[in-house]
Amino acid sequence: MTSIKRFRTALAALLLAGGLTACGGGDDAGGDVTLRFSWWGNADRAALMQQSIDLFQAAHPTITVTPSFQEFEAYWQKMATETAGGNAPDVLQMDFAYLREYADRNVLLDLKKTGVKVDDLIPAFQGVGEVNGALYGIPTGGNTWCMFYNPKLLTEAGVEEPRTGITWDQYHALLDTVSKKGAGRTYGGSNYRSVIYSFESYLLQAGATLYTGGGKLGFSKQQLIDYWTVGKQYIDDGRFIPSEKVAQIEPASPITKDLIATEFRWDNFFARYASETEAELKIGPVPVTTAGGPTGQYLKPAMLLSASARTDHPDEAAKLISFLINDPQVGRIFGSNRGIPATNAQRDAAVLEGPALAIAEYEEAIAPLLQKAPPAPPKGAGTIEAAFLRIADEISYGRSSVPDAVDTFFTEAEDTLAG
Amino acid sequence: MIKTQGRRPSGVRGGQRHQRPGDAGAGLLFLAPWLLGMLLLTIGPMLASLYLSFTDYNLFDTPEWIGLENYQRMFDDPRYLRSVTVTAGYVALAVPLKLAAALGVALLLNRPRLGQGLYRSAFYAPSLIGASVSLSLVWKSIFSDGAIVDRGLGAIGLDTGGWVGRPEFSLPMLVLLAAWQFGGPMVIFLAGLKQIPGELYEAAAVDGAGPWRRFRAITLPMLSPVLFFNLLLEIIGAFQVFTSAFVIATGAAGGGGPAGSTLLYTVYLYGRGFVDFRMGYASAMAWMLVLGVGLVTALLFRTSRMWVHYAGDRA
Repeated sequence: MTSIKRFRTALAALLLAGGLTACGGGDDAGGDVTLRFSWWGNADRAALMQQSIDLFQAAHPTITVTPSFQEFEAYWQKMATETAGGNAPDVLQMDFAYLREYADRNVLLDLKKTGVKVDDLIPAFQGVGEVNGALYGIPTGGNTWCMFYNPKLLTEAGVEEPRTGITWDQYHALLDTVSKKGAGRTYGGSNYRSVIYSFESYLLQAGATLYTGGGKLGFSKQQLIDYWTVGKQYIDDGRFIPSEKVAQIEPASPITKDLIATEFRWDNFFARYASETEAELKIGPVPVTTAGGPTGQYLKPAMLLSASARTDHPDEAAKLISFLINDPQVGRIFGSNRGIPATNAQRDAAVLEGPALAIAEYEEAIAPLLQKAPPAPPKGAGTIEAAFLRIADEISYGRSSVPDAVDTFFTEAEDTLAG
Repeated sequence: MIKTQGRRPSGVRGGQRHQRPGDAGAGLLFLAPWLLGMLLLTIGPMLASLYLSFTDYNLFDTPEWIGLENYQRMFDDPRYLRSVTVTAGYVALAVPLKLAAALGVALLLNRPRLGQGLYRSAFYAPSLIGASVSLSLVWKSIFSDGAIVDRGLGAIGLDTGGWVGRPEFSLPMLVLLAAWQFGGPMVIFLAGLKQIPGELYEAAAVDGAGPWRRFRAITLPMLSPVLFFNLLLEIIGAFQVFTSAFVIATGAAGGGGPAGSTLLYTVYLYGRGFVDFRMGYASAMAWMLVLGVGLVTALLFRTSRMWVHYAGDRA
């Protein structure tokens, strides 16, 4: 017994020691440059990304790209620790909500100081990704806030499909009718008032913004009280699907489970939703306060590409970013996977069909309605976005009164913005 | 100078234990991986986190010394206080339930019967896959709206509408998951039961003690050291539960859902550190947890004098 134990310990020790030494052996391919490239996404995108990287490596034989990817949440957790450890990848995919967070902490490379090619970006994206005059990220594609709807559920309830110019009052009436018809099984929509981007489009319609240029909250407590009070009212009268039902199916969306007829999301979610449901979904308008009024929609970078300030190979990193943004073949490979492409060359090259085509057509149709994009959100925007959803959820569950919830949100948000 | 520190020739003193010159070196060599791991991966990070708990550290910039501020802020932080309440509730529910299940099944499996080994393995199996993500996902799916638990309860007139999305059911669901994994303490209980001399039961039976009396008067006192050990281990483990809550109750934005009902201590700690970039605060939380668990353990040891009986004790 003891001899077996001793043998096991020795074996474990040897294995451990072997593992330790194996870590030390790094190998360099003489003269060539290796770029680490991190991005978030799934297996589908990984295949497309690999094809694009192969093309890049064929064009630049001295550069080797080693990609790695995670799901969105895991990606940012890993990025935070890697960056903190001074070990950020050379090239990384960036989210608009985190751009300033990373830029302000001096971990991103000013791409203006490299030879990155940005002159072919569509006009709406010129200058997007700049913070204080430096260029920290380049959009790969864009998306806009919009409504998804399930025409079948609407028809069954005897309601017309929403058209451009539909007012909020008309939309809320639609919710009421559909939910009543659904009799506790299906509902008009989900609580869009718990999502910060819906609140943003509401503010933009009223001529306000989520954040001021100085990085403070751009709205008053009373505005949020009004907004959430109506949300609570619609939870109570059954226009919105109960939160219990939404929580059951997370991370799936209730619209993909045929539980609701309408939902507000960024339009690039459409491709994912379409693949997750049998139902035929359509993309519709964001309702307006008064007919003909502003929609509060703008073109947001779906994702950006950035380089680390600590990279040893800024020029090669810039080459990779330029290639992924501009090369027509890359545009063809990705289609709308990274949002509708950001450069003219890739837009022309992308062959769009199915959901991707629907998104592109939608964006083209509403192009005249788009407003100028607000500046990059301040540090902590990601945390505030999550807090908004979480605190609104407390109201939905009846665990917090609206004024208390608004107080909590302002305390947390101001605390976060103060750093 | 060197001479005085020089090694004594081995085996000179007749009465002393013989030690070969290479033994200490070999021992250290074999100890080295563990020692290195302990220093680099446990002690080092712990000291670093103790330091960080007194700083404002966001993972990117240099930590800035702020003294006790992180510790003071906890008491004004409603989410922190809620995480403490939720965790205390979880420990108070999960530990007794799990131990009761473990003891109950251990008593059943203690008697020799056909297929005993199979039963023991079957009951132990869930503990092997312990804190896995896949298990949490399975658990979530069986407690969802319209899934097996919901339909089963619905069939006997208890309509719950799924446990996952309901704040009042979400924590009990995690408690049940913990209790179901009673295999670890069960095995230890089984070993403890084997140590109780059969003569005691025979004597008690002769004196006319029924099964319940025999359990109260013999099994429990004889088993009390094992019970104490299991209790301690399970409490310490329960305070640190993370995976199940993190996976099942993702909730609105970053864990603790629905409506904060499963905001366990570690889930909030993780969120503060890796989602909100408040690593100093998260470190302070970690040290408060160490203090809290230490306090509970100390209390347990104090009370144990009253109910734990060791062989050879004089009452």
